[in-house]
Amino acid sequence: MKQILRNPLLLVGLGYLFVLVLFAVLGPSIRTAQLRQPGDLNFSATTTAVGPVYAAPGTPKLPLGTDEIGRDEVARLAAGAQVSLMVGFVVQVLAVSTGMLMGVLGTFTPPWIRMPVLRFTDAMFAFPDILLAILIVGTFSAPDLGVFPVIVALGITAWPSVTRLTVTQIASVKDREYVVAARAAGASLPYLVRKHILPQVFPLILAVSMVEMAGTVLAESTLSFIGIGVQAPKPSWGNMINDVRSGEITSHVPQLVFPCLLLSLTIFALNFVGDGLLAALDPKKG
Amino acid sequence: MRLARAISLRLLFGALSLLFVSLVTFIAGALAPVDAATLQAGEKATLADVQRLRHQMGLDRPWPVRYAEYVEKAVHGDFGDSYMGVKEPVRDIIARCLPMTAEIAFLALLVSSAIGLSLGTISGVYRNKVPDRTVLTFSTLGVTIPNFVLGPFLVYIFATKLNYLPVNWRMDRPQGDFYYLLLPVLILAARPAALITRLTRASMIDTLQQEFIRTAVAKGVPRWRLYLKHALRNAILPVVTAIGTNFGILLTGSFAVERIFTIPGLGSRTIEAIVSSDMPVVQACVLVTGAMFIVVNMVVDMMAPVLDPRIRESQV
Repeated sequence: MKQILRNPLLLVGLGYLFVLVLFAVLGPSIRTAQLRQPGDLNFSATTTAVGPVYAAPGTPKLPLGTDEIGRDEVARLAAGAQVSLMVGFVVQVLAVSTGMLMGVLGTFTPPWIRMPVLRFTDAMFAFPDILLAILIVGTFSAPDLGVFPVIVALGITAWPSVTRLTVTQIASVKDREYVVAARAAGASLPYLVRKHILPQVFPLILAVSMVEMAGTVLAESTLSFIGIGVQAPKPSWGNMINDVRSGEITSHVPQLVFPCLLLSLTIFALNFVGDGLLAALDPKKG
Repeated sequence: MRLARAISLRLLFGALSLLFVSLVTFIAGALAPVDAATLQAGEKATLADVQRLRHQMGLDRPWPVRYAEYVEKAVHGDFGDSYMGVKEPVRDIIARCLPMTAEIAFLALLVSSAIGLSLGTISGVYRNKVPDRTVLTFSTLGVTIPNFVLGPFLVYIFATKLNYLPVNWRMDRPQGDFYYLLLPVLILAARPAALITRLTRASMIDTLQQEFIRTAVAKGVPRWRLYLKHALRNAILPVVTAIGTNFGILLTGSFAVERIFTIPGLGSRTIEAIVSSDMPVVQACVLVTGAMFIVVNMVVDMMAPVLDPRIRESQV
């Protein structure tokens, strides 16, 4: 705990993430309420025009201006933050739970279960980076499914590395004296795994999954940027960046800069927090 | 003899990986909502028509049979025809798009290795001093900033403001390929370069603490000869092993970079195919990209024992 409080980068990262979560949760509703005019009955933060097209930032009503069809940038950035944080969080929850389960299965089961599990995990590494996610999204994506295909695709791509980590970590823990002592005292295998092994392994996996979450946020925005992730009109930082095509950069600087900035800062923050936690867990490396 | 066995094991593992990738692309094709039969039958066809076509095309046979046929055809370079437009054979599409992507990826691999190795060596040598701090800052930026954020930023500076470099790829390229490739390759290389820098630094620091370095210092080996010849040769191994992973990052990175610069490579063709549900093209593109990744990884793994006698000795 002390080490966590002493690491300024980690604190900055946590602070940023906290503000970002607030922005994501509260942003769209506050903006919607502020922008709602007596006439705009069916106003929604993400679909309906509220201002002039490509309004310049700086006015109190539209502090960051509007996009190509007059939608408020602040509301869209907040909605994009929702997408990124939600996808990042859900995918990591899926990846960590599946990955740890497979890791336990890959260590403590008889060979006829263990070997297929481990070989299948190895085989998943035959796909570079997010290529598998691209294939899955490409097979099932339909605009009405929303972010669901993205979450499934990134979840399937993310669990194998958690399994590898779990297997190596369990291997380093399972023959330690206290585990052997507990087994000698008659503890059953499920009890050992639950009470003695996983609690030892879990903090490290959690810290690594913060770093991995940065990768997931990046992957989601990459998919959305190349046009196969989160689909318009739902905003994501990736598709907001893609909306400003390279030929028109000069005229639409604010529309490009803010999603880029938020995305980069978020990836930074997640990395800082993950690395900080890793350093706190392993004083030798810190 | 042991080396031969290790190499054949690695080849076997590579072949199995290829089979796995082909199986996954086959399953994706089988699960896709639109198949060749529904497409050929057209919108007005009844369910019975589609079933009949499916039977004619052999799509109702058990899946192991169809998978075996798929693999056999793929081995001969036959990936079927595109669903779209003039139903061009997918083989021709791949032959047209692949060289572009491969060229950019390999150039980026060279550039990133060169940058990463030199910056990483400098950083490791001047550990915790100003050069190291500077390099570390840049490598952190390089690892974190997505290429589609870096892309528009560099395009804005070098193409729009300074007007040194082109905004987009052009089919005729009046100024020579180098001029058009510079920005895409640099942007693609940024992340791997940063990763290689970090890895080289760590590996260099590790190596410089070993005893043979102390011996060399005591012997009076000149400073930079010590770093480049004695230390780097030992420090380079983990970096070589990481080339495989980095190549994967380059392959998927090219999806975004090709889109930024409208380069007609495999990446932008895959996306085009995904958007239009052109499954044969999607399958073939993913299969070819995966195959490149597997082959490069295989070559890299085989280079490790060649570069390092210790691995050669310990090889199972």
